[in-house]
Amino acid sequence: MALPIKTQPPSATRQSQFRIWFYHWSQKNIHWFFIAPALIAILVVAIYPIVYSTGLSFFRVSFDSRERPFVLFENFIWILNDKDYWGALGNTLLYVAVTVSGSFVVGFGLALLLRRISVGRNWIRLVLILPLTIAPIVVGLTWNWMFDPLFGLVNWFFIGIGVQPQTWLAQTGTARIVVMLVDIWQWYPLVFLIMDAGLSSLPKAPYESARLEGASDWMIFTRITLPLLRAVILVALLLRTVDAFRTFDLVRVMTDGGPAQTTETLSLYLYRTAFNFNKLSRAGAGATIMLIVISIISNFMFRFLYREQEGR
Amino acid sequence: MQPSLGQRLIAYTIFFILGVLVLVPLAAGVITAFKPRIIWVSSPPTWIFSPTLENFEFVLIQRNNLLHLRNSLIIASGSVTIALILGVPAAYALARFRFRGSKGLLQWLISLRMIPPIVVALPFYILFQTFDLRNTHIGMMMAYLTFLIPLVIWMMRGYFAEIPSAMEECAMVEGYSRLGALRKVVLPVVLPGIIATALLNFMFAWNEYFLALILGGRDTSTLPAAAATYVGRAQVEWGNLFAINLIIMTPVIILTLILRRQLVKGLSLGAVD
Repeated sequence: MALPIKTQPPSATRQSQFRIWFYHWSQKNIHWFFIAPALIAILVVAIYPIVYSTGLSFFRVSFDSRERPFVLFENFIWILNDKDYWGALGNTLLYVAVTVSGSFVVGFGLALLLRRISVGRNWIRLVLILPLTIAPIVVGLTWNWMFDPLFGLVNWFFIGIGVQPQTWLAQTGTARIVVMLVDIWQWYPLVFLIMDAGLSSLPKAPYESARLEGASDWMIFTRITLPLLRAVILVALLLRTVDAFRTFDLVRVMTDGGPAQTTETLSLYLYRTAFNFNKLSRAGAGATIMLIVISIISNFMFRFLYREQEGR
Repeated sequence: MQPSLGQRLIAYTIFFILGVLVLVPLAAGVITAFKPRIIWVSSPPTWIFSPTLENFEFVLIQRNNLLHLRNSLIIASGSVTIALILGVPAAYALARFRFRGSKGLLQWLISLRMIPPIVVALPFYILFQTFDLRNTHIGMMMAYLTFLIPLVIWMMRGYFAEIPSAMEECAMVEGYSRLGALRKVVLPVVLPGIIATALLNFMFAWNEYFLALILGGRDTSTLPAAAATYVGRAQVEWGNLFAINLIIMTPVIILTLILRRQLVKGLSLGAVD
């Protein structure tokens, strides 16, 4: 798209030679003038904090002391020896596994189901995506109230069908399940939105010829729909996994990690370590480990995704 | 092939149940926000009463949540404006120019969305003390930019890519400079995209809680952070809490109604549209 540039014949002075050179250079690199402001901002607000946080994990830092001695791996060793850390990691992995697969099945199922009907689609879509747009904190508080042992609607529903009222969020058996169900309630719409858009963009031809060949619905789904949607499915899973891995808001207001730390996720544990126990650098070490784990997971999924898109 | 009547009936039943599960908790909460104090925790719940605005009055004026509302508005709109000013030109360049490293730069930008907020929040907390940014709106906006800028670039790149580059080329043949063509020809066409991006990012900033909890000071705490302080007490003031919840929810629901179509693009990082 470069237009022929008419420049004056180069004059003999050095200064104007530099000007001409600068003009050509800036035309060739004009994109950097657009990108540089954003890039610099990202370096300041994202990269610098990450580097700082990683560096922090090699020092001993707390609020009550100005001294910050270098301690090498002490924080990492401490956190890897803390059984609460491993407990939180276990909880988080369970949380990720249950909520990602749960929201995926519900969201994808509903997107497929929506193809079967024709009347009222737009209204159904609108209602179904509502939970996603509401702040997690509001969702958590609302469900906290729904599950209240004394006056929560959930207990009134269960009394109606003859079940004793329960303290849902205070029992180790149920708290975990309730929190994960609410997480699925909040996030299935993301999968639904992505899969709904993916299904709408599918070509018609393969379906028509499959029908002519007399293929069953199940065969069409597994042989045509799933392979065509592979990249879209990966995006949905990637986004859900990363978000579930760092869950904080919902758990914080529903149980704050309890009862008996059965719902304590990694983010919650790190928050507690830093701000309740005043161990900033230990939390920094934990955050560094978390960052590495998330990068590995997302990198792995990205690789997969790009190979998928290039293969098409 | 048209699905049979039975199939459609099952589908509508499932959607009805889902609709109830989605709407009942939200509606019940909204109703509670209008209940007078004495029936907040009546058991069984009371549904017939004369609605009152006293909860809203109480939380906004007595509990000083007007300040938190103001903070939320300032921080969300301020950070989104800065993110747009920085992100839109970058998105334009990434959509228009193919240069060495452009693809890698894009991938790197999405990967920024994967950062756990605690990784950013901890250093910000310490750096705020060093640079005396505690309790300032600017500090909060900077923290929010970590997730807003990559999102703006990703969404806007999609909108720019949809505009044929022939448009600017024509304008440039007509004698416009690149910047002139960008301002007079491209920006008007991409304006709806910019508005959608702004609104969606506003929603994210408005709903944000983690950074607000850790970094928010006495004068910069936002509404979500204020709402969260209501739980964990011996007696939760449910009516007041739901009044705040409703104030947080209302703009977001209005935005969802406006943005339905753009929502997918923004939330799926432009992978699907």
